Amino acid sequence: MLLSDLLDAPVRAPSGDPLGYVVDVRLVLDGPLDGGLLVQPRVHGLIISPRTGSSFLGYERSDVRSPAVLARWLRWRHRGTFLVHWEHVATADADAVVLADGYRRWSPAFPEGAHRHV
Amino acid sequence: MKRLLGVALGVLTAIGGFLDIGDLVTNAVVGSRFGLSLAWVVVVGVVGICLFAQMSGRVAAVSERATFEIIRERLGPRTAGANLVASFLINLLTLTAEVGGIALALQLASSVEPRLWIPVAALAVWLVIWRTKFSVLENVTGLLGLTLVVFAVALFLLGPDWSELADQALSPTVPGDEGPASYWYFAIALFGAAMTPYEVFFFSSGAREERWTVKDVAQSRVNVFVGFPFGGILSIAIAACAAVVFLPRSVEVSSLSQIVLPVALAGGKLALAVVIVGIVAATFGAALETGLSSGYTLAQFFGWSWGKYRRPAQAARFHLAMIIALLIAVLVLMTSVDPIRVTELSVVFSAVALPLTYLPILLVANDPEYMGRHVNGRATNALALVYLVIILAASLAAIPLLIATGGGS
Amino acid sequence: MSPRVRRSALPHDPSATLPLGPRPAGRVLDARLHLLDRQTLDADEVPVATVDDLELVPPAGTSGPLVGDTPVHVAALLSGPVLATRVFGGRPPASRLHRILWRHVADVGTTVRLGVRGQDLDVLWVERWVRDHVIGRIPGGRHAPE
Repeated sequence: MLLSDLLDAPVRAPSGDPLGYVVDVRLVLDGPLDGGLLVQPRVHGLIISPRTGSSFLGYERSDVRSPAVLARWLRWRHRGTFLVHWEHVATADADAVVLADGYRRWSPAFPEGAHRHV
Repeated sequence: MKRLLGVALGVLTAIGGFLDIGDLVTNAVVGSRFGLSLAWVVVVGVVGICLFAQMSGRVAAVSERATFEIIRERLGPRTAGANLVASFLINLLTLTAEVGGIALALQLASSVEPRLWIPVAALAVWLVIWRTKFSVLENVTGLLGLTLVVFAVALFLLGPDWSELADQALSPTVPGDEGPASYWYFAIALFGAAMTPYEVFFFSSGAREERWTVKDVAQSRVNVFVGFPFGGILSIAIAACAAVVFLPRSVEVSSLSQIVLPVALAGGKLALAVVIVGIVAATFGAALETGLSSGYTLAQFFGWSWGKYRRPAQAARFHLAMIIALLIAVLVLMTSVDPIRVTELSVVFSAVALPLTYLPILLVANDPEYMGRHVNGRATNALALVYLVIILAASLAAIPLLIATGGGS
Repeated sequence: MSPRVRRSALPHDPSATLPLGPRPAGRVLDARLHLLDRQTLDADEVPVATVDDLELVPPAGTSGPLVGDTPVHVAALLSGPVLATRVFGGRPPASRLHRILWRHVADVGTTVRLGVRGQDLDVLWVERWVRDHVIGRIPGGRHAPE
């Protein structure tokens, strides 16, 4: 499976309702070390937005607020973006991602400071 | 003392490096047709390139990422790929125009047909790219390009009616025999000549070549903010020379010999010799910059090893790309296409492609992940947004105006 | 215009403020934002390739579509032909994927730093070919500029 298979895949609720598209995959570095220098990233969840569009992403997740006019517009384009945890994904392939019963929507915001080394 | 020399050298090369065949041709053509009534566009363009070059230089110094790496990261492969194709083709067009410019200037000096000079010029450009250190090529061509100051001297010697020139520049009107579409078409061409994307690719990649760090940002700001405005003044002097000599006679500039004619009229053979040296240096310098830029853009998009500070064998695909670009430029020129015409097109298409290069740099210059505390200030962002609107407007209007005016004719 | 789902057709209120989930225990990276299309540098700071894609693998012995019940890990960074399929669609055959195994990744910042030297990596075979057959054969190609 390639990351690009998942990106832009349509996402459906268990009921079949369309929820949007996978715009990103959240990873957490807590996998096995596998003889390397950095532990393997594990898929933590999917970032789902009502629209695709791969350029200038991330304003809906970060605290970058300038230049104000552009940042506000880019954030507004992806309003309604949410995070679902991987445990709440029933099946995922290039054609569609279907969420499991009882899935929960979380804020897509990037956990403060979690991108830098911990 | 050494520091002061460094600053002086930086400023002088920025002045000499500002002018290329695009500025020479566009300013002379505009001067002969519109007088100084478009001088305000040069001012707008110079402020724009100062802002843009300063931002991309700061991003390169602080984040250690060159412009096209950032374009790829921010736009994704599809949009960035489209930008790569457009930027590479425009860059190739500009490279072709510069190599043709060298050949035309050498023809003026020698009366040997330009088609004999073209392979010689291209070979010389390649040899310098292949074997010369980055700092040497930048400084030598920049300093020799300074001889174009002779246009400003010539303007004084021509003894023009200063009040009339000032009147044209300060209360611009479209001359009677020209339509508003041509006026705005040439406004965009002048803007594109001042804000060519290759200058930014070269400037930001050059910052990486010379291993700039945060400490060098202040120096680069001085180079840009002093050097480029002086380059802009020279641009206006070129237009003014053409306005004084050609506008009253209704002669439209269409060749390099006409561009240098005002200098020859004012200063005789010696001045003519100086201006030819200046044009060879300016076009040669710009051919190096565009040649390198064709390698920089491809290498940075695909993630290849690049840079003149490496041996060619350690940046093999980068060097191969530049060789191929130069070969294409020679082949195009050998078809006897008019380099002046190629130049006029290249500056207009530069304006078309500008937003896709400008916007990613503006956004990354605001991103603390890359810039830490060196993100854009409020004043820079306010000005940058004004320019975003100008750049978008010029980009959208360029092709309709190109068609409506039949290429400005 | 990129495809989108009309916000009024969503089964939930898209303007609702969502809670922040529990903070994961490790460092967090968003794949597209922090890995994809970034430059990789080898142990000597020489550019290797741009990250064109990532290879996601479920635990050994599972097949079919990925499911949320089993963890999925990033096994490798991919580069090369996979870029063309990201731009134009489709999928390269598995044999044509050029991998940089995750175990060679040393750090992720504004670039992805590797702990190995580029000459040991398969992804650089084109660079080596051009060096050995073209650039290295031109006089001066192996010397530093003066």
